[in-house]
Amino acid sequence: MAEKLYSLIEHTADMGIRIKGRDIREVFRKSAQATFSIIAHQERVRQPGKVSFNIELKSANLEELLVDWLNELLFLSSAKEAIFSDFKLLKITERTLQAVVCGSSAANYRMKTEIKAATYHGLSLKKIPRGWQAEVIFDL
Amino acid sequence: MISERNEIPLEKIDDFRWRIPRDYKSGMHVPGIVYADEKLLKDIRRDKALEQVANVAFLPGIVEASLAMPDIHWGFGFPIGGVAATDIENNGVISPGGVGYDINCGVRMLRTSLQLADIKEKIKDLVYALFSDIPSGVGSKGDIRVSQKEERQILVEGARWAVENGYGIQDDLDCTEEGGAIAGADPQAVSDRAYERGKAQSGTLGSGNHFLEVQVIDQLYSRDTCDQLGLEEGQVTVMIHSGSRGLGYQVCEDYAKGMIHCLQKYGIDMPDRQLACAPVNSPEGKAYLGAMRCAANYAWANRQCLMHLTRKVFERILGASWEDLGMFLIYDVAHNIAKIEKYTVAGKEKNLCVHRKGATRAFPPGHPSLPGKYRNIGQPVIIPGDMGRNSYLLVGTEKAVETYYSSCHGAGRLKSRTQATRTINADALLKELESKGIIIKASGRGTIVEEAPSAYKDVNEVVDVVAKAGLCKRVCRMKPLGVIKG
Repeated sequence: MAEKLYSLIEHTADMGIRIKGRDIREVFRKSAQATFSIIAHQERVRQPGKVSFNIELKSANLEELLVDWLNELLFLSSAKEAIFSDFKLLKITERTLQAVVCGSSAANYRMKTEIKAATYHGLSLKKIPRGWQAEVIFDL
Repeated sequence: MISERNEIPLEKIDDFRWRIPRDYKSGMHVPGIVYADEKLLKDIRRDKALEQVANVAFLPGIVEASLAMPDIHWGFGFPIGGVAATDIENNGVISPGGVGYDINCGVRMLRTSLQLADIKEKIKDLVYALFSDIPSGVGSKGDIRVSQKEERQILVEGARWAVENGYGIQDDLDCTEEGGAIAGADPQAVSDRAYERGKAQSGTLGSGNHFLEVQVIDQLYSRDTCDQLGLEEGQVTVMIHSGSRGLGYQVCEDYAKGMIHCLQKYGIDMPDRQLACAPVNSPEGKAYLGAMRCAANYAWANRQCLMHLTRKVFERILGASWEDLGMFLIYDVAHNIAKIEKYTVAGKEKNLCVHRKGATRAFPPGHPSLPGKYRNIGQPVIIPGDMGRNSYLLVGTEKAVETYYSSCHGAGRLKSRTQATRTINADALLKELESKGIIIKASGRGTIVEEAPSAYKDVNEVVDVVAKAGLCKRVCRMKPLGVIKG
């Protein structure tokens, strides 16, 4: 059975996700996948038309890098009208990230929920016994 | 977690006001004051909203109290339903988190000259046509497409741009907070990313709790005020709830991120990064204020365009001009915004930066900012409820000076979206609403469940508290006939 991608953090008005990964890279990748599984139904309804973007980010620390990563994806998704499904983290340091993200036109998907932003409220990214765990609350 | 009870100390001031003492947390500059009755308080204690009321009291320059309306619930940084005023001359701050991502999310209400009997047979056609003609849903794009030059114009001219382009009349602007365009908008302070995110979304409703509702007045509370507003029992009204869409989200994100670094720069200690802020008079504070006003103007233009599309649908389905159908705007008011307003604090007149996050401005009779026709009754305050119960029209009162003329903004969520999804069946809910005479059209079944009436507090109880606390006076109550949701 496939491992669960994320668990939900109950929040009255919005929604939070808790993601576990073997390493930081996996936490960032799974966080992105979780974000788009909240936004859109995963099965495509039409033929895919591929889009891809290079992302380079610099942040004050690793936690804020995670929020910046998710917000960058939300911005690209909204401005370019795309849904992303493939996230290649080329390089992650404590404060920088390089990635290539691929997806297809949002018109190919049935949409579920609009995420306005990943927020800093309740944000955490910490080491746990078998890897790393992140918690992020979205504004819906 | 939501189910854990929150035992923050609360001192009873009277039946509708409760104080979180200033010594609850070291770092609070003022106490918290929560407007609620004992019943609502039980729900409020179920999440982290009260902790957030206490956290807001840390804002530098905050005066008198961190306030919470009875529809308060857990937000991020600020609670939803929070009001905080900071003294600009005393290093008072502005916080993007105190406005929220959906800058100038707000609501407008139109009256019609129609009675329920006039549209009873056509309500389904109306709702389906509204759903088809008004772009809604996640990332919805509108037919009203604008060039980049026009987008910059919208950010300064707000709803005035819409009216000048044929999407309304001067009276609409007179009946909109700030005339539909707040001064001091600075398009230079808006990032290219925000422009890009907003460009295709003018004239779109959006998703989540945004809605367009056809309603009928089912109860009058003040016949005099209703007469002055041209309202009577059985009359059909329309309510539109939307905001600044992607442009506003991006403005908030840009400045919420930027202001985290202001905390260190200005030596500010906040318990939550989402409460990042900067002095109103700092370069960062001024830039945010200029950008936030742009997003607010965009939202007013957006609601003006949505109203235009609504009028066109009514014309088509009912075969008469919107003027003949009496579809005039009663008022449009923001409930996520920061405004510079003058108040007397400890005997001195002060310029305050009033954050209203999930709270509605409620100016009293005689206030100079009100249009002439509302000068003697006070500002119309529009309180949408959930899609199965009621909505309200209220007016501001002088007593609300204690909340910087602010009132509640809606029912307030009770259940999380995931709780609602787990416990509510969409088909059963639609059937139940239809049996009450309410037609729902939504982009997705998920929205219907997440926005189910039982996911919200009872707006009747919330409005009862603001009325009994004297923050507003009830004018009339509406019930939904048809709802379109994103």
